[in-house]
Amino acid sequence: MVGSGAVLSVWLIEEINMERGYWIKSKPVYTSLKWHEKATSHLVLATGIGGMAVLKLFQQMHPTQPVKVLYGKYGQMDADYSDTLKMVVPEGLHIHKFDDALLTQFQLELRDAQMGLRIYVAGSEGFIWDVVAAAKPFGIQEMEIMKEQADTLARSVYCVHCKTISKYVTTNITACCGCERMLFVRDHFSRNLGAYMGLMVDAESPGELPAIEEIYP
Amino acid sequence: MSTINVKVAAIEAVTPLIKHFTLVHEDGSELPSFSGGSHIVVTMDAEGRTYRNPYSLMGSPTDTQAYHISVRRQESSRGGSLFMHEHVHVGMRLKITHPVNLFSLSKLAHKHILIAGGIGITPFMSQIEDLKRVGADYELHYAFRAYEQAAFVNELEEMCEGHLHCYADSQGERIDLNALLSQQPLGSHVYVCGPSPMVVAVLETARNLGWPENNIHNEEFSSPPVGEPFKVQLAKSDIEIQVPAEMSMLEAIEAAGVKADSLCRGGVCGRCELTVLETDGGIEHHDHYLSDSEKVSCRSIMPCVSRTKGKRLVLDL
Amino acid sequence: MQLNFNDESFRDDYSYKNSPGAIKRFPFPFAEDHYMYSVNIEPHTKGAQGSVYEFTFDVDEHYVSECLDKIITLEQDPGRYSALPHMMDAQWDFLELAMTSMANDYPEYFTLTKNGNVWTWENRPLDIMDTFTFGDASTLPSEPFEYMGRQMQGDFVLLDQRDGTLYSDAGIVTSQADWSLAFNTGMSWQEWHGPVPKVTELGVLDRALKYLLNLQVGNPVRRLNWTMTVNPRLDTSPENYPLWAIDRNKVNNETVGELVNLRVELQSLFRLPRSNAIVFGVRCYLMSLKDITTYPRWAKRLHRVQKDLHPDLIEYKGMTSYHRYVIDWLAQFDDGEVLEYGSHPE
Repeated sequence: MVGSGAVLSVWLIEEINMERGYWIKSKPVYTSLKWHEKATSHLVLATGIGGMAVLKLFQQMHPTQPVKVLYGKYGQMDADYSDTLKMVVPEGLHIHKFDDALLTQFQLELRDAQMGLRIYVAGSEGFIWDVVAAAKPFGIQEMEIMKEQADTLARSVYCVHCKTISKYVTTNITACCGCERMLFVRDHFSRNLGAYMGLMVDAESPGELPAIEEIYP
Repeated sequence: MSTINVKVAAIEAVTPLIKHFTLVHEDGSELPSFSGGSHIVVTMDAEGRTYRNPYSLMGSPTDTQAYHISVRRQESSRGGSLFMHEHVHVGMRLKITHPVNLFSLSKLAHKHILIAGGIGITPFMSQIEDLKRVGADYELHYAFRAYEQAAFVNELEEMCEGHLHCYADSQGERIDLNALLSQQPLGSHVYVCGPSPMVVAVLETARNLGWPENNIHNEEFSSPPVGEPFKVQLAKSDIEIQVPAEMSMLEAIEAAGVKADSLCRGGVCGRCELTVLETDGGIEHHDHYLSDSEKVSCRSIMPCVSRTKGKRLVLDL
Repeated sequence: MQLNFNDESFRDDYSYKNSPGAIKRFPFPFAEDHYMYSVNIEPHTKGAQGSVYEFTFDVDEHYVSECLDKIITLEQDPGRYSALPHMMDAQWDFLELAMTSMANDYPEYFTLTKNGNVWTWENRPLDIMDTFTFGDASTLPSEPFEYMGRQMQGDFVLLDQRDGTLYSDAGIVTSQADWSLAFNTGMSWQEWHGPVPKVTELGVLDRALKYLLNLQVGNPVRRLNWTMTVNPRLDTSPENYPLWAIDRNKVNNETVGELVNLRVELQSLFRLPRSNAIVFGVRCYLMSLKDITTYPRWAKRLHRVQKDLHPDLIEYKGMTSYHRYVIDWLAQFDDGEVLEYGSHPE
């Protein structure tokens, strides 16, 4: 179906594949949010159902350092936790209607921030990697940001043929929004692009498509 | 490990305890360029034994005519620094390794905080050249006992202009690590080289303030796969070989004309694995091939990088 | 030694061919009848005269045509070259390594003249002559890595060493066995290879990584890797997968000897001095099965290796749809003779 393993097999990588008989996977692993004990301040970002992760975070022992929460009530599943958050977060809560406005405030916060700031994000995978991309120009590496996947499992898919990214893909096979080729969504993720690789599914046998299923609801 | 033959071109006493050695290629050709923070391992043939000490390169990385190292006289050390101070003279030949960098500057850092204690200033001297070349933002914090004993302060003032901050213990000056590390912009990286209490203090302060691990750096040297000399007996070939301090066991076996299989010569491929029949002092495993339990069992050894801790080893070869 | 550079193509009419001399020096990767994986890495030291290991970077009869093919691929998709901004030191390191070794190893084709920082590079086969200031990218027609990468056979990736791992932060990749530079740029070693669940497997990746982190200036290493490609096509990229995947259906009993090529990658790794980066070179050699049968011991050995190959590996290398034709066709050359160890042709 797909071509030979699209990894740079420096060595032994084939051995690993052969033993297990599966394609290389590089899907990021997400955790549950937990306060860093060592920090000088905390910045929490969430959208939609990600608000629940923030509520859980505030159930934990409250840090002694200053905390700020940026919440986007605009979420894929229309779940709005802003009222509950207002009750739980004592101060420093900022509510935005759209992700763009939230990310703009995020970058303004980073401009004046200092080493010791710890960043937490909860939301859809797309939102998580938008936050990572916004933090990058400030010298923040993605592994420093604690990430919890909440909300939809939908994927951003990078078409390796036309380089367009299709957002909110919920199926194993999808039509590229750039070139309209039918793409198989591989479990190979680029943190740089914040997207999974999509590869034309019927190149060897045009028109022969496997069953399309919704596996990332 | 391929080595470079160098000649001592100049020796200068920088302070009563620190000597600065200028090394040039034996045949006058250019030396390899290197990156700031690199070190070389100098092999010294003393009578009856060999010292191999790592020293930071402190010259400009773009200067390929000469390498510069500084050696502080350490009375308590195994003797390499004493040998450098007492026996190495201008015109003498030494063997050095190619530069290795285990203390490199992060190319993604937005600001570099360099913290040096005493002779720990040396790796920063080559790094500052690199930082200046790319126009990076940095601060150098240099702590020492007293101005009279501090090396290279004048040179550094000239090199660093406003970026240098000196702290003389004799005048009661200390680096306030907490203040320094709690007021740095995002994307800062901290680097420390100096006496171990200072290194520990910097690492701890940065961690306690929430600095990510990847933004904290301390100098490390590579440990060469050499050590004390020992004898190895090859049971099948029925010969005994002396493994000198500066040679790997594999090299000694090959030098004795015994055919031994090998490939990577870096302790990773497993090709040169040999069965150990007897050992009187255990194995110093330096490879990345054997599992921990295999290493503990002492039944196998990778002669390309590993040695015995004892005097004698018997192998099935 | 003076080469006659072939006038040939790696696409459309596929006029690529190997001379008898090129066949004889082909880096045939199988020394035994059964193919087993191992960490087959060795020092990249000077090999026998005339072999592909004789020089740091091998230049052969395909040099000019391969460089022209690279120009076409880059023109159609400029994303095959990419370099993150912090890799500029590594770019100059790469240029220096390439120019000095090529000028030193092939003085009849390449000349490097240094006048302080002002260098003049002459590449006679490609009719290039440029004078530039080392360290000043504005004095070259393109970035130094791209400039030199375009004048060399094979692909190159520059790996930055930081955080105890390696990041693929620059590359010029036009002859890859199905991996995407645009997708992989900026990836760490672990990300590139994916999270691997079993501890023993993690050990394998860590081992290889530790070895590379310790790679030293002046001590490069190399290994061979292989796969098969239908038609002598250099650009078997995922980007152009729709263009070449379909060719797999053209393989049958009649066409297999001509169409199917053994694709051998000579991979080499060098530590770069100023940047402390690593250059990872992947040089591709293509040889049709028919040309391989020039040497009976290669034909016999290839038959045995392919016959024994694990199905997962066949799938992984993308050979499933035509692999049985390969085995059937090679069988006619295998009389069962016992072959001694080694990958030599005769």
